[in-house]
Amino acid sequence: MKTGVKKALLALLVLVSVVTSLALIVACGPPPKVTMRVAWWGNPTRDERTNKVIELYQKDFPNVTINPEFVSWAGYWEKINTQAAGNDLPDVMQHDYAYLLQFVSKNLMEDLTPYINSKKISLDGVSETYLSGGRVGGNLYGISLGTNAVCMVYDPAILAKAGITAPKNDWTWDDFVKIALEVYAKTKIQTLPIFYTDPKVGFENWIRQSGQSFYAKDGASLGFTDPALLEEFFNIQVQLLKAGAMVKPDVVYVNVTITEDQFSKGNSWVQYVWSNQIVATQAAAKKDLGIVMLPRIKNPTRAGTYLKPSMFFSVPKTSANKEEAAKFINYFLSNPAATKVLLAERGIPIINSVRDGIKTNVDPVTQQVFAFIDTVAKDGNSSPIDPPDPAAGAAEVLNAFRLTAQDIMFGKTSVKDGVAKFMKQANEILAKNKK
Amino acid sequence: MKWRCPLWGHLHINFSVESQMRKKNKFRAVTSHHLAGYMFILPWLFGFFAFTLVPMAASLYFSFTDYDIFAAPVWSGLANFAKMMQDEVFWKSLSVTFIYVFFSVPLRLIFALAIAMLFNRRAKMLRFYQTVYYLPSILGGSIAVAVMWRRLFMSDGALNAVLGILGTPTDISWIGNENTALWTLIILAVWQFGSSMLIFLAGLKQIPESYYEAAEIDGASKITQFFRITLPHLTPVIFFNLVMQIINGFIVFTQAFVVSGGTGDPMNSTLVYSLYVYQRAFKYNEMGYGSALAWVLVLIIGIFTAIVFKSSSSWVYYESKEGQK
Repeated sequence: MKTGVKKALLALLVLVSVVTSLALIVACGPPPKVTMRVAWWGNPTRDERTNKVIELYQKDFPNVTINPEFVSWAGYWEKINTQAAGNDLPDVMQHDYAYLLQFVSKNLMEDLTPYINSKKISLDGVSETYLSGGRVGGNLYGISLGTNAVCMVYDPAILAKAGITAPKNDWTWDDFVKIALEVYAKTKIQTLPIFYTDPKVGFENWIRQSGQSFYAKDGASLGFTDPALLEEFFNIQVQLLKAGAMVKPDVVYVNVTITEDQFSKGNSWVQYVWSNQIVATQAAAKKDLGIVMLPRIKNPTRAGTYLKPSMFFSVPKTSANKEEAAKFINYFLSNPAATKVLLAERGIPIINSVRDGIKTNVDPVTQQVFAFIDTVAKDGNSSPIDPPDPAAGAAEVLNAFRLTAQDIMFGKTSVKDGVAKFMKQANEILAKNKK
Repeated sequence: MKWRCPLWGHLHINFSVESQMRKKNKFRAVTSHHLAGYMFILPWLFGFFAFTLVPMAASLYFSFTDYDIFAAPVWSGLANFAKMMQDEVFWKSLSVTFIYVFFSVPLRLIFALAIAMLFNRRAKMLRFYQTVYYLPSILGGSIAVAVMWRRLFMSDGALNAVLGILGTPTDISWIGNENTALWTLIILAVWQFGSSMLIFLAGLKQIPESYYEAAEIDGASKITQFFRITLPHLTPVIFFNLVMQIINGFIVFTQAFVVSGGTGDPMNSTLVYSLYVYQRAFKYNEMGYGSALAWVLVLIIGIFTAIVFKSSSSWVYYESKEGQK
């Protein structure tokens, strides 16, 4: 009996100590002035520049303390998802087009329209083309920190050596195949598969040119039912592979750093990137690059390329400092000192005066990117962006597409079977979005 | 998960001390002595409850639900487990993991034992070499290892360069080939033999020198000595290492993650089970399904550990037990 009581006491003691230690962790409350958390995914350059802007901001507004939270892309979403589950999202978070809808549909993000109407965030003269990516149902949930577009970069030296004139923005996929074969015939230099780490990005451009979209409007199925275009997408690559002109799959589908990839090594004349990756690609390849839009399909009904917000700043609903968060975003977007630090690392800035202000401060490669985005923004070269990826299943569909490309390139399956299997699989995965 | 191994040892000691004490004071169960002990292990207890037991209980619950992190979990009964039966990738990752465990565990143990035998003698700089050979285990899942493995096993890597010199030139990309990619991971596992080696070494040092001397006098060869003296005396250590390595083998994650960048490429041929759990839970936000997958792994590990434990009575030799008989 006595033992029982003692045991109970002991258990109680253990429980109390556990609870107190927990309470101690939780009780570290905020100091009297404003403390904000700003989160982003990054790379060393972005982290350094963003931290510098935060420093500048704290100097200008000494009452504000900003705690930065920055990790890599993959770690970021694990962290943010966990924070979302725990109602502990930061005050300002970097957001991505692929995940925005998911967060908005869970009612986690704040509509920023009021802050723009009240000029807390000043976006005067910013074209709707640059903003529409952050809209869901008329509300603005994310403000673009830079504009992006898909492109191909090529090595002009290799083309010159093969005696081929550099491609123009109105080239076709037939031209692409011809160039690839000719480069291989004359220099033995091969071609990388189209967007091999995320082939959906490449095919999306094809399907958009036909007037359709990759996902259906409601997100409950694929946006296309005719497999012909997807088969063609793989057929030209299999054709190049069979001719020996394409880099072999066991070399392609290896996780490598940007300096180790086949373009940097000079084994491919072409690489497929988003425009904000061009600077890094050039730095890794250490050679002059040409930038060109993705080729056209046969009888396109519209341009496939679109201007994409490379990333947003968003304010979560749970933030206790929404006014301060908006003030910070405004500073980040338009303060001359801040924008001179950030330059175009997150993509081409959306505010005209900022773009003009930094044009002369950026290196020649970034100037090339500025010019490319200007070209894409011209009429007829781009079409409006599709709605964000479906709330559920998009990541799984992307992976299925990636694996389908591998199965086909490794010769595990025929193009016809691979495409049919993928379309069936994707439609099954997406069906859970049916309402 | 390496840190669990020393804890195991501690627990074991704890229990034996406690059982002795119980024998002495059968009627004074909780003494101030015990209390002090509990206070000492409080930090560990806190960690165990907060970061192991509670999350495990939660994941057991989630495994019967449909849970996407954002919305509250919805009870779905056995739906997750039924889904597994239809899930091609589940079976694929299971077979990848079984192949990995089946080959990497024995190979690593044999390698660790061989190196430990090499170290079990008096020689200069032994400590230094022991440290050097332990290094790969510390490097574990670092990015440097991923880079190095690529440099070794890419089509223009070091292995093919060596093969070229040996007169069998090839341009196979071992790490990007469906049939060989998993083997590069198995080799990586064997290379990280350090912890098993140290445990073997400790076991070898326990074997009395006099046994070998006696055997030598009787004219037993080195090979006979190994099979008749060394191996039988090592069986408890082999048993321990086997259990630990089987567990470690089934939960392998980091190596596969860094080498393939978390994709399991090419064509899921390096998609070990834990990597698939990670994909489902953290990339597709299917916490319910991910938890269910994780619990199936717990079950599998439990079964294999139980088999090894059951079989141990027929092959593990404890000297102390023999003595008591």
